[in-house]
Amino acid sequence: MRLHRLTLRNFRGVKDRTVDLPGIGTTVIVGDNEVGKSSLVEAFALVFDFPDDSKSTRIRDIQPVGQDVAPEVTVELTLGGRELTYTKRWLKNRSTELSVVEPDGRRQSWTGREAHNEAERRFAENVDPVLWQTLMVGQGQSLVLPTPADAEPLITAVTAESGTPVDGASMPLVTAVEHEYLRYWTRGGRPTGDFAKSAQHVAAAELAAEQALKAMDEVLADIRRAERLALDLADLSGRLDEHLLTVEELRERKKATDEILLRRDSIRSRAETARARLENHTRTRLERERLLVDVERFTKADGELAERWTDADQVARKAAETVHAAEAALAEVVELKDERRAEVQDVERLVSSLMDRAELDRLLGQQAELVDVRARIAAAGTVLDAILVDDAMVNALEDARAKIVEARAALAAGVPEVSVRRLGGEAVELSGTGLDAGSKRNVPSSLDEDGSVELLVSGELVVGVPGQVEVRVRAGGEAATLRAAVDEAVRREKDLLKKARVKDLPAARELLRKGDLASAELQEARRTERSLTSGGDPAERIAVLTSRLGFAEGEEVFEEPPSKQPAVESVPGQMSLFEQFEPDENAFDFEDLEIPEPLDIGELATAQRRLENARTGLAEAERLLGDAEFAAAQARKAADEDRSEAQQARARAELAGERLAAAVEALEAARALLADEDVETAEVEATGEVEAVLDELTAVQEQVDAAGADQVAGELADALAVATRLQGERDVLRDSLRTTEGRLEQSGRDGLATRRDTAELDLAAIRSEYESLKRRADAARRVYETLGRHRAEAQTKYSEPLQTRIEALGRSVYGPSFRVWLDDDLAVAERELDGARLRVESLSTGAQEQLAIITRLAISHLVSTGEGSVPVIFDDALGWSDKARLRDMGALLGRAGDHGQIIILTCMPDRYEYVPRATYLKLES
Amino acid sequence: MSAGRVSVLNAMNDSITFLHSSDWQLGMMRRFLGPDGQARWAQARLDAVMRIGDVAKDTGAAFVVVTGDVFEHNQVERQTILRACEALKRIEVPVVLLPGNHDALEPGSLWSSAQWSGHAPDHVIVVTDSRPLEILPGVEIVGAPWRSRRPVSDPAAPGYAELKPAPAGTTRILLAHGQLTSLSGGMSDVPTIDQAALEAAVADGRLHYVGLGDRHSTTEVTERIWFSGTQEVTAPEETHPGNVLKVTLGADTIEVEPIRVGAWHMVEHHAELYDEESLTALEDFFAELPEKERTYVRLAADGSLPLPLFSRLDATIDSLGEVFASVERWAKFWTVRPAPDAADLDALQLSGPARAAMEELRQALAGGDEGAGAALTLMHRLARDAG
Repeated sequence: MRLHRLTLRNFRGVKDRTVDLPGIGTTVIVGDNEVGKSSLVEAFALVFDFPDDSKSTRIRDIQPVGQDVAPEVTVELTLGGRELTYTKRWLKNRSTELSVVEPDGRRQSWTGREAHNEAERRFAENVDPVLWQTLMVGQGQSLVLPTPADAEPLITAVTAESGTPVDGASMPLVTAVEHEYLRYWTRGGRPTGDFAKSAQHVAAAELAAEQALKAMDEVLADIRRAERLALDLADLSGRLDEHLLTVEELRERKKATDEILLRRDSIRSRAETARARLENHTRTRLERERLLVDVERFTKADGELAERWTDADQVARKAAETVHAAEAALAEVVELKDERRAEVQDVERLVSSLMDRAELDRLLGQQAELVDVRARIAAAGTVLDAILVDDAMVNALEDARAKIVEARAALAAGVPEVSVRRLGGEAVELSGTGLDAGSKRNVPSSLDEDGSVELLVSGELVVGVPGQVEVRVRAGGEAATLRAAVDEAVRREKDLLKKARVKDLPAARELLRKGDLASAELQEARRTERSLTSGGDPAERIAVLTSRLGFAEGEEVFEEPPSKQPAVESVPGQMSLFEQFEPDENAFDFEDLEIPEPLDIGELATAQRRLENARTGLAEAERLLGDAEFAAAQARKAADEDRSEAQQARARAELAGERLAAAVEALEAARALLADEDVETAEVEATGEVEAVLDELTAVQEQVDAAGADQVAGELADALAVATRLQGERDVLRDSLRTTEGRLEQSGRDGLATRRDTAELDLAAIRSEYESLKRRADAARRVYETLGRHRAEAQTKYSEPLQTRIEALGRSVYGPSFRVWLDDDLAVAERELDGARLRVESLSTGAQEQLAIITRLAISHLVSTGEGSVPVIFDDALGWSDKARLRDMGALLGRAGDHGQIIILTCMPDRYEYVPRATYLKLES
Repeated sequence: MSAGRVSVLNAMNDSITFLHSSDWQLGMMRRFLGPDGQARWAQARLDAVMRIGDVAKDTGAAFVVVTGDVFEHNQVERQTILRACEALKRIEVPVVLLPGNHDALEPGSLWSSAQWSGHAPDHVIVVTDSRPLEILPGVEIVGAPWRSRRPVSDPAAPGYAELKPAPAGTTRILLAHGQLTSLSGGMSDVPTIDQAALEAAVADGRLHYVGLGDRHSTTEVTERIWFSGTQEVTAPEETHPGNVLKVTLGADTIEVEPIRVGAWHMVEHHAELYDEESLTALEDFFAELPEKERTYVRLAADGSLPLPLFSRLDATIDSLGEVFASVERWAKFWTVRPAPDAADLDALQLSGPARAAMEELRQALAGGDEGAGAALTLMHRLARDAG
């Protein structure tokens, strides 16, 4: 089929549009959305499917909205080698017209329903619906991979090309084979269903049969065992019976010889008694001999040890004397040493006394100096105590004086200065307040003749000549204030002078100078006192020494000092009396000390030489004492050893005495029982007795030997032992037999043979069923595998033409490594690129779309030579491909046009700008 | 040697009639019967014993002797022993049982068990030694019971070796069990019975009848020496099983008559199959067999059949198995093969891979591949059914 022209009128949004399509090659129809691209495809479907009188909603839907017009479609196409023009108008002025031009140019026309039926028939005859659906890709369908196996033209094409007939007729067989196979096997080839169960039953039955057989084998073994035991038992019983006869015979013989043996036993008994008696006598003799030897030996030892004791005792005594002498010598030397020590002590006391005297002399000098110094300290202290003026006080007094001068100057400047002079004789009296006649003068109450006075009036001055005149001079308001300041300064100076107990400022300055002198004197005296008392108070030491030397014991040495002079001269202007200096009542009184004559130094040197000599003598005596003590210790040690030796010798001697006494006592006791001379006689008699009995024994043994009595007893004992052993063996056999028979009886009750036979019967039945199933299962498997293999081979061959084309097209896009594999429906199942083989579901969306397009182009190519070819229509595809792929896919779409009619509808013309030789049609709205 | 009615002139009025049976082998199992067939067959063997009781009544037999292998094994289950005792009660005359190789007087023997002694009817006597037993005045039974399943010498000899000729007026019957040297063909692995010595004993009047057991087919060895055979068939190889012998001894005469008591059949059949006609013949053979539910057929087949016929053979045998007690393909002699020809395959109208697969299987079968035959048959059936 080829589409040539399509005309739409009043079809959805299209008022009137005709599209001409080249019969071969690729056509790209470009138009924006809603301009009716898809209507072209829809119109083609509707014109064949719906008669003009159809009331279908699909027809009503194509009428433009709100317009009462008739939708109309005209299609011009080639179908089965004939040119068809087919026009249909629905809803209003309905009509259908079909015109067909045969290849030879004949023309036929139909109208109305006939036209519709004829068109429908011709379409169905020439267009395979599967192929048509496969190659027409609607909007949004571009990703769907085609499954074109049922498309007849494709089947025809691949069959023609591969030479392999289509397998369709044997599909029921394939299904039946698979069904049969799955009755016995899983798809993975493991037994299943009844077949698998049967195998399990066989295993269980085999186990049961094996166990039953084993149990029965044990029974059979028991039977054989019991048979053998019975035979052995019979044999053994026979031997035992035979043996018991021998035993009986031996018993009879033994009875006869027992009497002789009895007699021999009696004689043996007597012989034993005699031998014991002899042994007793021999023992007595040996004991007596031993006693005699002991007494002799102990007597000798006793004498020797007593002698040794005496010697040791003498040595000990001599040693004691030596100790005595050494101790006497030691006592003499001790006495000598004591004398020498006493002498040393005497001389030491003398030297000590002389040295005390020398020390006392020194201390007395020091004490006199100290008294002098302390008197100076006391005097200086008295002066200092009396002076209350210091630097600060003098400064304060100076300030106060300055303030007075200052205040007076201010007063003088601020108040009237009145000069009063008595010119005549008339008394002139002066009075008033706040008057100042200068610092050295008092205001007179009257003036002498020619006397005058100059006054500063700060208050009120009354100058009167009594009875004549009275002049009052009164100072202004300020004068009182100035006057008060002067008074305040004067009062302040007086307070300070009173506090310092001085008359005036110069007196204070004189006192300050005297205080400084007294301080210097005091410091110097105290330094001297500290140096004199640095070794302690000499007075205490003097008291100790005088006491020790026996001078003026218990008397007061010092009296009060005699003078009571004031320590400070009176100072002019001083306002009070000086206090008196009080002496120290605790001071030592040297007046009463009886000072001995100073020591002669030669006397002390003589005494020291004596002391040295005495000490040398003492050392000599001590050396002699050490020697004497060593000699005495040596003597005592030797004496101790000798005494110990003597004591040991004594103990040994006493022990030997006791031992001798005991031996003698034992010998006497033994002799009391049997005299020495009888001991040997008794032994000889006993020996004789023994010999006699032994002779008797020899005689009877000869009789025993002659009768063979000993052998009979031995033989009987042996025979009895054998009989016991045989009986034991027989009992063991009998027990084993009983046990085995007991087991057999039990197994008989259990019906083990029946159990075994039943188990084997069951096993045979189950095995037979299994083998039957297995034969069927194996047959099913063989058929399944054989058929499967052949089908796979056929499938490979069958799909080859399509596969080859898909790969050829695909390589132009992806390169030479591109390969595909098809499944039973001839759909692409896997794709390989650069060695990587993937299921199509695993590919990217773009790759899936490209593969879907390539597959359709391949199908179109494959069917293009046949009558059944149809156009390939893509409505809006390649939306998933990138630019590089678009170029390759465009080239592919362009080339595909060489073999058939390819129609592409798109609103994105740039996707298809690389399609070579394509016809571009632009739909305008 | 064939069994049959033996007729000897009865010279004396004074005669004794008894029944001789053997090899009951109660408790025996046959794998080829399957569990269901086995149960019915086991019951049939007991039924046959009970029918011996009927025969005894009908014939006026004075007693019944059973010459060995009464039980299949000394260790049969209790149920078998008790049911045997019940069946024995249905025989109203004395019954003398001889232990055989299957139920020898070995240690653990069934005969010395409490199960037996506690249930055995009083009129049943078990021969446990070779001392003569006067079963009736003037009738003496001597027996040679098996004491072990592996005797070291002629198992019948102990029964008569010490015997002097029977006193006048005494009829003496020997019960023994084992194969005859003459019949075993030297193949027996246990000592056999010296037939010549037996005949000598019969000839010199020490014995008047020798009842033998162990051989399941009724067999006349000499006029007075007989194998009674088993009371009910146990294998297809047996020639005359399922009988009891009615023995009538006169002063100088003997009459032995086999009387059928068995109800089952065990048949061996060999079929040559090569075309539809031969297959139909086989089907006819089965159709004509009587008492199918009590019949076991061991079937051997060789030849080759076209695929449709081969499928038919399979189906036929499968359905026969439902009707007969058992139909067994005798594996050792089952060599019939499918022989597919081109016409068979063409008829299926297969093409492409299916046709190729069948062709491959056909060639494999032709090359001797057994598995291919079964596969081809299956595929043929499936294709036919699918088509």
